[in-house]
Amino acid sequence: MGTENPNRANNLQGPSATPFAAPRANMPISSSHPMVGSQTSAFRPTSVPAMPNASPFSSPGPTAGSGTPGFRPMQPGRATPSYGPPTTGPPQRVPAPQFSSTSQPTPSQTSHVGQPILPPSMRPPPPSYVPSVPMGSPPQSLYNAPSSNNPPRSFVDSPYSASGPNIQPPPSSTRPTYPGYPGMQSNQVNPPPPPPPVYNQGGYAPSQPPMPAPFSSHQGGYGQVPPVAPSSGMYGGGSAPPTGVMSGLAEDFCSLSLGSAPGSFDGGLDAKALPRPLDGDVEPSSFAGMYPMNCDSRYLRLTTSAIPNSQSLVSRWQLPLGAVVCPLAETPEGEEVPVVNFATMGIVRCRRCRTYVNPYVTFTDGGRKWRCNICALLNDVQNDYFAHLDATGKRVDLDQHPELTKGSVEFVAPAEYMVRPPMPPLYFFMIDVSISAVKSGMLEVMAQTIKSCLDNLPGSPRTQIGFITFDSTIHFYNMKSSLTQPQMMVVSDLDDVFVPLPDDLLVNLSESRPVVEAFLDSLPSMFQDNVNVESAFGPALKAAFMVMSQLGGKLLIFQSTLPSLGVGRLKLRGDDLRVYGTDKEHTLRIPEDPFYKQMAADFTKFQVAVNIYAFSDKYTDIASLGTLAKYTGGQVYHYPSFHSTIHKDRLRHELARDLTRETAWEAVMRIRCGKGVRFTSYHGNFMLRSTDLIALPAVDCDKAYAMQFALEETLLTTQIVYFQVALLYTASCGERRIRVHTAAASVVTDLGEMYRQADTGAVVSLLSRLAIEKSLSYKLEDARNAVQLKIVKALKEYRKLYSVQHRVGGRMIYPESLKYLPLYGLSICKSTALRGGYADAQLDERCAAGFTMMALPVKKMLKLLYPSLLRVDEYLVKAPTVDDEFDRVCRRLPLAAESLDSRGIYILDDGFRIVVWFGRMLSPDLARNLVEEDSATDFARNQTRRTTSGRVLSTLKFS
Amino acid sequence: MVKLTMIARVTDGLPLAEGLDDGRDMQDAELYKQQVKALFKNLSRGQNEASRMSVETGPYVFHYIIEGRVCYLTMCDRAYPKKLAFQYLEDLMNEFERGYGNQIETAARPYAFIKFDTFIQRTKKLYQDTRTQRNISKLNDELYEVHQIMTRNVQEVLGVGEKLDQVSQMSSRLTSESRVYADKARDLNRQALIKKWAPVAIVLGVVILLFWARKKIY
Repeated sequence: MGTENPNRANNLQGPSATPFAAPRANMPISSSHPMVGSQTSAFRPTSVPAMPNASPFSSPGPTAGSGTPGFRPMQPGRATPSYGPPTTGPPQRVPAPQFSSTSQPTPSQTSHVGQPILPPSMRPPPPSYVPSVPMGSPPQSLYNAPSSNNPPRSFVDSPYSASGPNIQPPPSSTRPTYPGYPGMQSNQVNPPPPPPPVYNQGGYAPSQPPMPAPFSSHQGGYGQVPPVAPSSGMYGGGSAPPTGVMSGLAEDFCSLSLGSAPGSFDGGLDAKALPRPLDGDVEPSSFAGMYPMNCDSRYLRLTTSAIPNSQSLVSRWQLPLGAVVCPLAETPEGEEVPVVNFATMGIVRCRRCRTYVNPYVTFTDGGRKWRCNICALLNDVQNDYFAHLDATGKRVDLDQHPELTKGSVEFVAPAEYMVRPPMPPLYFFMIDVSISAVKSGMLEVMAQTIKSCLDNLPGSPRTQIGFITFDSTIHFYNMKSSLTQPQMMVVSDLDDVFVPLPDDLLVNLSESRPVVEAFLDSLPSMFQDNVNVESAFGPALKAAFMVMSQLGGKLLIFQSTLPSLGVGRLKLRGDDLRVYGTDKEHTLRIPEDPFYKQMAADFTKFQVAVNIYAFSDKYTDIASLGTLAKYTGGQVYHYPSFHSTIHKDRLRHELARDLTRETAWEAVMRIRCGKGVRFTSYHGNFMLRSTDLIALPAVDCDKAYAMQFALEETLLTTQIVYFQVALLYTASCGERRIRVHTAAASVVTDLGEMYRQADTGAVVSLLSRLAIEKSLSYKLEDARNAVQLKIVKALKEYRKLYSVQHRVGGRMIYPESLKYLPLYGLSICKSTALRGGYADAQLDERCAAGFTMMALPVKKMLKLLYPSLLRVDEYLVKAPTVDDEFDRVCRRLPLAAESLDSRGIYILDDGFRIVVWFGRMLSPDLARNLVEEDSATDFARNQTRRTTSGRVLSTLKFS
Repeated sequence: MVKLTMIARVTDGLPLAEGLDDGRDMQDAELYKQQVKALFKNLSRGQNEASRMSVETGPYVFHYIIEGRVCYLTMCDRAYPKKLAFQYLEDLMNEFERGYGNQIETAARPYAFIKFDTFIQRTKKLYQDTRTQRNISKLNDELYEVHQIMTRNVQEVLGVGEKLDQVSQMSSRLTSESRVYADKARDLNRQALIKKWAPVAIVLGVVILLFWARKKIY
């Protein structure tokens, strides 16, 4: 410092600190900008990655490095002030000066130091890189340093280390480290061939519009990663661009060559380079990383965990802005949600917005008040809840209050949260016993499955159970515990259905167990010779409603023909090819008869959830039947052309899971969010009770709900937006509970940040729900186009952010976080619910898939969209020894034709069914070992065969 | 015939169990449930400590037993024999004490013993029909006396609380008003004092001043 020229010093430091960009030849240098030092994490969010200006840097950056005395003075100023600029500070990463050590230092450069050549006005603060200048050392030392290959240090880089020599080298190892040196003039002249290392320029003044910058280096991104924004972690991983120019783009985003790259021979794209989600769903780490007290992402996922601060950002983001909530997601062993009982104190909630107390509320006034994090109201702390604050403002009893440390908790609901005593779990079965149900074997499989599940029904000993069967008449069963055999009562008056018995149609399972078992045993044989083809579905539904309306519960409907009698009868539709492609096409996918929607509304009101199991080989109008499930929080299971030998295992598995999984009853859910943000639409299977109260007669871990939100004001003033999901439900054990998930997300001003923190899973989930909803009122094609358009627009917007600074012509660029988005977009368009036209999927299958996808949690949705494909023949031949070896030997393969070898056996698993694919050239020995002798030969002819069971699976212990 | 059955802890009115699907076929079940809750609240305040009582409400009667800090209450038609109703409650009581007697004090959440509803359900059925042999023999059983059980009206019972509330309100108002009165009186006293002595004090002051001034001048 002693050598410094005072004038110079002033110059440089003038505006709070001058950042110097001394980088490469083409780097613009702007000094005299206040934005110095912005590496600090705080700025990161605000940084606009756009490239600032058009000011090419005529003189090579290294000037700074030239060791001019003038330069050095900056150091001190720099080190500290770097944090200074509050919001404007660009988090820049400073590019390491890359100069070859051999280059001659030209002292002449010094003149440039500090004074940007570019007109400062246009230029946002340039990357603040200052080549490292060892402090206080004579110029020589400067030179020495380079020769020793010391990585140059930038002040910016290590704002904390005051002295030059300590400065840390730029982290990225890939970068050539050149001593920060002048003498780069030559660089200017040089053609870019040595691809300029990319610098990510993290930050600029947020307000700066991106301007075309002639240089290709992207500054910014390495070095100290600010804790808030996981920046460096998210880069990388992209496929390395083949051409030199691109090398290093991976730092900031991924790119994919779509056209032929200059200098390479192969035109078109390389299929191997396409990103594929072979590891399944990857949850964004930023969500939990930034706010460790957030609930786990299995409960709540935001499409981007960076909330835009203005309407204009929202509109530029293009993708849906929303959340996917799975309130009861299965927790891994040992991670149960803690239960909090406030007992007589009552649950602590905000007086105004009714937010539940959560880890983000702040206690003030010595612990006597708490400030609601959502509406900022100051609430009084009740006496029973009072605790002193320690020096850091935290409650001293924090460790005894999981609700103040965990993002997910369950409160025991006091009596005010009950309109009636907790209901018992209730299962009511409405079974079609017409000829097709008997013939397909459905009746038998179903009866066996239910019987085997009786022990595992949740809620014993309170569980209630009941049955109705129907064909052209309705049959009720008296299962009074004192009987030995159930009594059957037949009601044939379909116009005016009545319940023949006040009690005992719905019985306590533990008391009437023998009767129920006797009934299930005799059910298949009872209707063995039934030749009735009619189906009085509507009247039976009404009867079930009358029986259940007292308690609510779950209604499981087994239907194998088109409802043909009484109210709610449906007619064949959808077989008219001409409707497809016209504006009337969508009417096939919505219920025809308002009866179903009306019934669904009534069911919801009385806390009944309806699950539909449809088995027909012919048209059954799932669109209408599914409406019952859609509005009651239920689910549709569809087994086209059910045949017990083929579909037995699937039905057994799904029915058993439906009956035995932990279920929450008579639930309502609400999601709250901070001021300035508002939830606008909800997507999933449920009924909205008021504008934002989701009524869910039954919920379980396999149901997720998506919602979109919008900004209420044009500009968000808060730094953080909080979300809180509250689900009030009755557990099967008879406890009334409130499950609360709280999450925080930071508000950003930078579009690039939004993309970086995007969550593909949530985006895909929301996109597919929107597409399916769209297919209910528009043509399929429109729905598909909408998905594609959204993705294209988003990528285009993203490209705009970067294309100006990198020559990315002919390449597609995308953020690392969304690298699978295009693929999943394609999968959505190819999913059963949306693909093709008339011939590509049966109407029923299409509707059933639509209903299913509307309810799926993110992970299952992704698996359905992009199933896993495994090659198993090698594994089978090798004689399995250890169980876990399976995972090692069998890797997920890309879903491409190239992955299939005609000599192999493959398993495709989409979470609902397993397809075993036998290659045409499969070795006969293997085939014979797996299947019976005779059918082994068949495989030669039918190379594809679907099966859901078989020895293959049992051998593999495939889950 | 039994319409409603509820079991609550007397100390704080916390509901412990309730009959399943109670209130079926009743138009205004909610109203009566509200009344029951109000009744429990009254009980928790220590009123109506009679351990057995019948309370008339509309076309129905509440019968309740308080035993071991738990209140067993049922609502029946007026025509339903009181004797049977109390026997029903005793049955519940015996079973409940046997099953949950030691956990009653520690129950922290409402309906902590909701599992008891299956027993309630079962027992209720036994008492549903007054003409079964079993019930008739119970009715004729002279050993069980219910004559001395008091019958009151629900308005009266719930009204007691209200009236007491009123009285305590009035008395508290009286207290605060008398305090205000005392303050005022003290204030007036002071004023009177001032009025009385102020002229004298002024005259004295003037005289002293004069004396002092004269001394200074001369």
